[in-house]
Amino acid sequence: MSENFNIDDISNLASIELSEEEKAKLQKDLQIILEHVDALKNIDVKDEKIDIHPLSKVLELRKDESKESLKHEDAMMNSPETKDGHFVVPPSIE
Amino acid sequence: MAEKIPSISKINELFQNKEMKPSELFEQVYETASYTESVLHAHLELFYDEGLKLSKESDKRYKKNESLGLLDGIPIAIKDNINIYGYKTTCSSKMLSNYVSPYDATVVTSLKKAGTIFTGKTNLDEFAMGSSTENSAYGPTKNPWNPDFVPGGSSGGSAAVVSAGSAVASLGSDTGGSIRQPASFCGVVGFKPTYGTVSRYGLIAFASSLDQIGPITNTVDDTRIIFNEIQGYDSKDATSITPVYTKLENKKIKVGILKELMQEGVSNESQNEVNKVVNQLREKGHDVTEISLPLTEMALSVYYLIAPAECSANLSRFDGVRYGIREDASTSYEMMNKTRSVGFGEEVKKRILLGTYALSAGYFDEYYGRALKVRSKIITDFKTAFDKVDFILSPTTPTPAFGFGEKTKNPLEMYLSDLCTIPANLAGLPAISIPTGLSENNLPLSVQIMGKPCSDYSLIDFAESIEEMVEFNSSPNLLKENSES
Repeated sequence: MSENFNIDDISNLASIELSEEEKAKLQKDLQIILEHVDALKNIDVKDEKIDIHPLSKVLELRKDESKESLKHEDAMMNSPETKDGHFVVPPSIE
Repeated sequence: MAEKIPSISKINELFQNKEMKPSELFEQVYETASYTESVLHAHLELFYDEGLKLSKESDKRYKKNESLGLLDGIPIAIKDNINIYGYKTTCSSKMLSNYVSPYDATVVTSLKKAGTIFTGKTNLDEFAMGSSTENSAYGPTKNPWNPDFVPGGSSGGSAAVVSAGSAVASLGSDTGGSIRQPASFCGVVGFKPTYGTVSRYGLIAFASSLDQIGPITNTVDDTRIIFNEIQGYDSKDATSITPVYTKLENKKIKVGILKELMQEGVSNESQNEVNKVVNQLREKGHDVTEISLPLTEMALSVYYLIAPAECSANLSRFDGVRYGIREDASTSYEMMNKTRSVGFGEEVKKRILLGTYALSAGYFDEYYGRALKVRSKIITDFKTAFDKVDFILSPTTPTPAFGFGEKTKNPLEMYLSDLCTIPANLAGLPAISIPTGLSENNLPLSVQIMGKPCSDYSLIDFAESIEEMVEFNSSPNLLKENSES
């Protein structure tokens, strides 16, 4: 399963820039892990269901009620750059 | 002079009888921290001024016989991935080096209401990913029993402060053993409650279907007291449950020994601790049998697909826009890539990449989907096992604490140190680690007990009976050396 692992494609998908040195080290480590997890191929999982919650709890939405929540300025206080109550980012279109 | 800290119940008795004030205890643990921290680096930040102020308010409550309960005035340390309003929560990452919490985690709110005093925030492997605290961006924590050895991880700081006496107890988080493994390495009690019984609101998420907050303490009774305060349904956590705890009526308890955790890959020293406890349990008339859950051997593989997959989704929020550091760049895309490159350490990058791959088009079914299905089979196997036994006993860790750098070359070697603890996270089970003895190298050894979901209180009761049986009373050299000086 793991022979198609391409570190450039995956780092691009994960939005993480890697140095050539990091790529070599991570490629090697990830190959070791992927070879290990390949053991799961031998388990018969046909017709097996999936449990997202380990106790099979059905996830509920909260009631649509207005409640006190985080203040706008508190939600913004950790941002590297804000203006007039908005987050500021570099241009998104090149 | 350092003294071994009494249990929470005993401290409360001293407070009630006016034999000790909360502010005196706070000064004592702070004094201990002042000499242990230079060796251990277990706290990332100490809250002296705030702690002293709050402990003096607690003094007044006891003076007027108006204490808030057993935890009033008790100094507790908090792992630095749990939000406390107005203080930094760094997750031991460069990414969040400047992040100040704008709100309290639900567990923090509960402890504040109970009158707890926070000593500070404790060190961890970056974003709770690791088993030694060697992955902290702020440097590793050392083991109080021997600073040449790791304290375990990821809650290594939280375990070390309790072991060293610079806090009475602490909170950690456990995704694959991150409370129990460091508790075992540091000779203290570590408890991972049933998934969903303790709110995760305000815990910075690593792998949401596995993460669980729990206490690290000196005694099993201290664990009971803290769990009692932090457990319960929370509407702010969608995975929170309304627990209906089971009780054990029989005094004769059926214990299963998990065969797959008593074989090659687990040291003789770790296996011997289990055998020692088994002999004592049999002498007390309990029914002990070997059980086999073959899929337990797949738990590590399942975990290293599910946890990275969830982590890659959870950590996508760190993009340099809303919080954390930001690297300058001419476009948003470039800014995010550079910020995540500089902000995350190697292990975090590794797990994000692994998770991204497992979730990517064409591989989802083969990796993440398959891992979820095997997880379901493991859950079913545990359900079947708990029809036959009340509790499952195993070593907590395959070996006692290891040396710095010993397991950093091959990722699997480090991951294998969580071999015995991961199954409980996959199945959502409550599990507790209690110290039982010392290794040849004078390092702590422990056993782990797992129970069925929502058996938390009966599991704690059973663990307490084992604690009384094994009489582990040793303390780390660091504490002894300073007591003798």
